Amino acid sequence: MAENDVFVEMECFQLCHDGEEVCGDDFLFERLEGENRHLAVLSDGLGSGIKANLLACMTTTMALEFIRSDMDVMLSAETIMDTLPVCEVRKISYATFTVFDLQIGGKSRIIEMDNPPFIHLRNGKDLKVSRQAMTSERWPDRRVQLSEIYAVAGDRLIVFSDGVAQAGLGQPGKYKFGWRREGALEFIQETIAADPAISARDLSQKVVYAARSRNKDNRCIDDISCMVIYLRKPRKLLLLTGPPFRAESDAAYADLVRNFDGKVILSGGTTANIVSRELQRPIDVDMKLVMKAGSLPPPARMQGVDLVTEGILTLTDVTQRLEADTPLDTPVPLVSKEMIELFRQSDEIELVVGTKVNEAHQDPSLPVDLEIRRNIVRRLKNVLETKYRKRVLMRFF
Amino acid sequence: MSDVKKIKVEICLGTTCYVLGSFRLSSLEEQLPPNLKDRVEVVGCACLEVCHDRNYGNAPFVRIGERIVDNATVEKVIEVLQEMVAAGGSNE
Repeated sequence: MAENDVFVEMECFQLCHDGEEVCGDDFLFERLEGENRHLAVLSDGLGSGIKANLLACMTTTMALEFIRSDMDVMLSAETIMDTLPVCEVRKISYATFTVFDLQIGGKSRIIEMDNPPFIHLRNGKDLKVSRQAMTSERWPDRRVQLSEIYAVAGDRLIVFSDGVAQAGLGQPGKYKFGWRREGALEFIQETIAADPAISARDLSQKVVYAARSRNKDNRCIDDISCMVIYLRKPRKLLLLTGPPFRAESDAAYADLVRNFDGKVILSGGTTANIVSRELQRPIDVDMKLVMKAGSLPPPARMQGVDLVTEGILTLTDVTQRLEADTPLDTPVPLVSKEMIELFRQSDEIELVVGTKVNEAHQDPSLPVDLEIRRNIVRRLKNVLETKYRKRVLMRFF
Repeated sequence: MSDVKKIKVEICLGTTCYVLGSFRLSSLEEQLPPNLKDRVEVVGCACLEVCHDRNYGNAPFVRIGERIVDNATVEKVIEVLQEMVAAGGSNE
């Protein structure tokens, strides 16, 4: 498989310790497109709540910075340990970490300190990883481990905090010593066997919820995090919005849909009409859905297309929801829910913008301001790239 | 009466029509008087593409058969339908 045909899906799912507002584990991802490098860090701060979150965030931030600039491993680890503030209660400064520095088509490095050891899965098999242990003279009780692996398409790299490894600790039965790496591994292998193409996002969620369910009364007695990195064939999505600038281009525009190998969204009434006319595929708009659809026109259907929507209002709503750090307090319209889900499931998203302007949208007597299509799609591209780590291509038609 | 061709009512759910209230027409089917109930088929439409055409009035638009109705409300659509049925129920 060519290098370009691998997409590195990096996801981390977390649950906080019961009663805490923030998670005491932190993670960061970075994609260095130019170098074909992918960085990921997971850190578990001592304790839980704000203090743990602070330790973990400091650790992930420093670790990402050091790995990006290829700083010496031991020096990086020592600097992190020197910098973390000392816990008042336990009189130590402490946060674990696992750092992935993945080079697609080359050698990848993993640096670990005290997190449960990462798992490298290929075809469901737990590959043996050889680790080189290093100790610091200044921090003799801390052990840093370095490993080098060659990750290929189809591989998964998984790491979790001890909220997963120690799940169920003290409970009678099989897990009285905690779920541990073995228990979690077995669960992960079964999950993959049942759904071989399961996304990193879904798998990380499943592991975390399964870990919680081992605990008494399904409680979170620790912060629980699971990071999954999945090297996979990219899942592609094509979104067409707006009529082409010249009507002569309509046929070529519709052909994009006919020839596309992946999911397709048509966003805009005229857009849907053009594709429907050119490909002779009727649009099915269910009027009964209008009342249940929330504050936007309902999703419509067309054969060979995954979702047909209204244009500007829907794209604006979806972009706002994707940009928001906390969920907006307005109910999610049905159509936005579907579109967001399609985006989240995809790795490579192609946004094709027809540039003909509908003058009716510029009428000042309309009760809402309608954004210019190009601007809203630019915002959408930006948020999908920066916040959701998608590969996004935008072109005009 | 089932063999009589139904009159098709298409409600535009395009951007302009939607923001100007076409969603209110979603209750049209329930509000049809008894004499129209079996004569009319109400469907949604991605866009009727008449909002930028100055030959018509303002959105929201509804197409009844071949006829475009502007400033559409439930009452106005029912009025047009009654006229059509009285004139022989033609789809034209």
